[in-house]
Amino acid sequence: MNSLYESKPKRILIYCLLILWALISIFPVYWMLTFSLKTNAEIFGENVAGLPREWVWSNYTRALHTGNMPRYFLNSLIVAIATIFITLAASVMATYAITRLRWKGRKRMNSFFMLGLTIPIHASIVPLYTTLAKIKLLDTLWALIIPYSAFSLAMGILVCTGFMGDIPYDLDEAAMLDGCGTWGTFFRVIVPLMKPAVATVGIYTFLQCWNELMFANIFINSDKWRTLPVGVQSLSGQYTTDWGPIGAALSIATIPTLIFYVFMSKKIQDSFIAGAVKG
Amino acid sequence: MNKSFRYKLNIFLFLLPALALFVTILIAPIVMSLMYSLTKWNGFTTPEFIGFKNYVELFTSKSINISRALKNAFLLALLSCCIQLPFALWLALRLARPIKGKTALLSIYFMPVLISTVVIGQLWLKIYNPDYGVLNVLLRAVGLEKWTQIWLGDKKYALGAAFVPILWQYVGYHMLLMYAGIKGVPTELTEAALLDGCTPSQVNRYIIIPYIRPILRVSVIFAVTGSLKSFDLIYVLTNGGPSHTTEVPSTLMISMLFLRNRYGMGSTIAVMLIILCFFFALVINAVFKEEK
Amino acid sequence: MKKILSLALALCMIVALFTAAPVKAYADDEVTLTLWSIATESDSSHQAFVDAIAAFEAEHPGVKIEHVTTENEAYKTKIKAAMSSGEGLPDIFFTWGMGFLGEFVNAGRVYCVDKEYEAYKDELPEAMTVNVRYGDDNSMYGVPYTMSLITLYANMDLLAEVGYDEIPATYEDMMACCDALVAKGIIPFGVAGKEKWCLSEYVEPLVIKSVGGQALRDMYNGEASWNNEGVVKAIEAFQGMVDKGYFDPSANALSNDEVKNNFIAGKYAFYQNGSWNNKDIGEQAQFNVKAGTFPVLDDSIPLYSMIGGPNNTLAVTESSEHKDLAVEAAFFLARYMSDADYKSGANLPCWAADPNAEVNELIQVAADMASKAEDMVLFGDNFLSADAANTYLDYIEMAWAGEVTPQEYVEGLDADLG
Repeated sequence: MNSLYESKPKRILIYCLLILWALISIFPVYWMLTFSLKTNAEIFGENVAGLPREWVWSNYTRALHTGNMPRYFLNSLIVAIATIFITLAASVMATYAITRLRWKGRKRMNSFFMLGLTIPIHASIVPLYTTLAKIKLLDTLWALIIPYSAFSLAMGILVCTGFMGDIPYDLDEAAMLDGCGTWGTFFRVIVPLMKPAVATVGIYTFLQCWNELMFANIFINSDKWRTLPVGVQSLSGQYTTDWGPIGAALSIATIPTLIFYVFMSKKIQDSFIAGAVKG
Repeated sequence: MNKSFRYKLNIFLFLLPALALFVTILIAPIVMSLMYSLTKWNGFTTPEFIGFKNYVELFTSKSINISRALKNAFLLALLSCCIQLPFALWLALRLARPIKGKTALLSIYFMPVLISTVVIGQLWLKIYNPDYGVLNVLLRAVGLEKWTQIWLGDKKYALGAAFVPILWQYVGYHMLLMYAGIKGVPTELTEAALLDGCTPSQVNRYIIIPYIRPILRVSVIFAVTGSLKSFDLIYVLTNGGPSHTTEVPSTLMISMLFLRNRYGMGSTIAVMLIILCFFFALVINAVFKEEK
Repeated sequence: MKKILSLALALCMIVALFTAAPVKAYADDEVTLTLWSIATESDSSHQAFVDAIAAFEAEHPGVKIEHVTTENEAYKTKIKAAMSSGEGLPDIFFTWGMGFLGEFVNAGRVYCVDKEYEAYKDELPEAMTVNVRYGDDNSMYGVPYTMSLITLYANMDLLAEVGYDEIPATYEDMMACCDALVAKGIIPFGVAGKEKWCLSEYVEPLVIKSVGGQALRDMYNGEASWNNEGVVKAIEAFQGMVDKGYFDPSANALSNDEVKNNFIAGKYAFYQNGSWNNKDIGEQAQFNVKAGTFPVLDDSIPLYSMIGGPNNTLAVTESSEHKDLAVEAAFFLARYMSDADYKSGANLPCWAADPNAEVNELIQVAADMASKAEDMVLFGDNFLSADAANTYLDYIEMAWAGEVTPQEYVEGLDADLG
């Protein structure tokens, strides 16, 4: 056991450091949850960091009634799911063409897609706005789904390349011999075996699009299509000095993800790790 | 139909969705930005071609002060590489060894990555609040009244204060990437080294770290390009202020575009950002290849 | 099973997405006008907008107005992005006069309302339309509804603690009062250093009360140099106030809403900002509050040389498919809003007001100042075009932070605004 090589005091010190960092990592969330249930009097002096003395659930009703948090959440969810779906479909297909089909220039095509990893998303805002406006997609969720998918594509292809490499070539060849064409092989052999990639691409895409603020702010006008980051930002603007409802809004935006994470953390980490190893 | 033609058609069809998205959403806007960057354009009238004047102005104008924005971005990249990544690596190396509560620690460290940047920004705004924020309240409680600051409003501290949450949020991201790499190191290698009498730190240094080099490369690229294009947290926390001390290229670009209606200049900054990101990705790749 | 379920869920989402896609459903005889404004739910004009729209819809069966609200800063970004592409524009939009609307007018995106204005001349005095007129022929491109003046709000309870029962009337007395406040541990002024325009709410009154309205207007128009003794004196005065600790030391970390709330909570003796704060301060402050104007720096300048003017405006886009109706709605809403905001105490009316209306004390003072005003110059960041306005605000911020001397300030403005 490696750890036997360390002296006891050193081990304790390391443990303390690890736990300290855990506290630092978790503190803002803990603080958010507690102040979302406090009165201003408690937040601003009597009881800054402790548990609420008086649980003010009305903060949550207020946050839910101004603006439309559930709607924003649903929009964000729809955007995330649609983006993941499009990214996945496009990257699996492209990866198949790049890694399984033989043609000149496939290496170059791969590097071309990898450019996408470094392009800053905000640099394309004006041309994108004009284009989206021309094709009448502005102020629809598509105005977010399409750009998010495009920006997630490079990562998607990177991850899919790793996973597809695990599929033995014999399988393709056998399928080809059985008379499946390119498409047949793709749908009957490759797609079913790419299932593990779904979660991984899903996580990376989710991280990319769940947080995005700039596009969401500019491409969406109507309240009914707003996503969470914009909703949270504008709600915080409206309640600048009333921290309770802000905390409640922040919590509403965060809790569903956290619950999902608590139940799925092993799976999420494994998928994330899979992406790192394959990529 | 000719067989080879059909094969080619199929290749094209498989690439089509990805290519269509990629070209229309990523490549075309870059080309358009490149064209806009050669014009004087307020976004409303017809653009007027002015050649490279925007580029000259960008690098000479004192009021735009691009060097300060670049300096801030480079500083963030440097801090990211010198503090965030080594710390993430240390955490990953620790957690890769048998240790109690590993799963819980991993989950907690990764959690900030999953929280919306806007939420994180709003939370840290409140943590830094000079009157009621936890940080100052805590300092007062332990008798360090002198150390309390107007964190985000003081020119001396704003930049550091804005960087802390950025570095903090992504430690877990890099840690998990590296952790994944370490788990991929064959146990025979490490065990053999330990039997040969290597200490754990020697194992880390001579076996594990060289082995996970590809992952480290990815981490460094993400950290550097991520720093160059950082926007969301700075925007929420300081939006470049006070007195432009926390300006980064992205915030400058947005203020050129949407505050000053200088679409030509905004596009020039966008082009510069893209070139910088490419350049650093290439350099980092080259560095990691050479050392092999 | 789980997989099928999750697939089904995903499919449902996609279907929902398609069906919910925003195909605007027009009933055959129904017209929908879109209005963009900054009157979010927390804005003091929100209710007035809602009522005005309801009143218009009641008078015009079959017409619906869809009101899209966006928070102030986000709104500027959004309207500019839409104006620059010319796509997805609303029929009617909220705007500020002069520079802000001017760029849209120059781009040919705004409909000229000269013709329609004739019918409203009696109710909306021509003097109120100066900030929405452009071009050689002075054509009118928007319908102003309220005007704002920079107002000095005073917490009389705090002033009483240092022996004042009126807002000091001379500059020297004002400084003496501030010194007394500081000595007592009371912060004289609240300002949001995080929002540059709030700094200009302090600088501009000092400048106009040192050089006079016409001189300031000439500087904005580029017809006179900023390098003027009076401007230097005003900036010196401003920096002196900063150095003597008259402003909240936390200012740079605060937004305007926080500062306003601090004033209402009794933290500052004075708060100088636009008259649109009348309603919030009048209704919420638990202390005796008075409104007034900053004393003059130069005795030859009239006291009521005011910063402000008619600026909240509704305009109609050139791309609107129902221009006649949209213009009618713009005038209707503007008239209604002018009246409603005045009566609720939110702001000063541009349209002829009901002389018998019962209004709160603060708005009476504001109306009184407006009627006594010798000269009125619009806010600098409204007056100037976007690029110049931001350069100008940058200089004000530098003066605030002590990064430029008064002399460097005036020379810099001359060089960079040229």
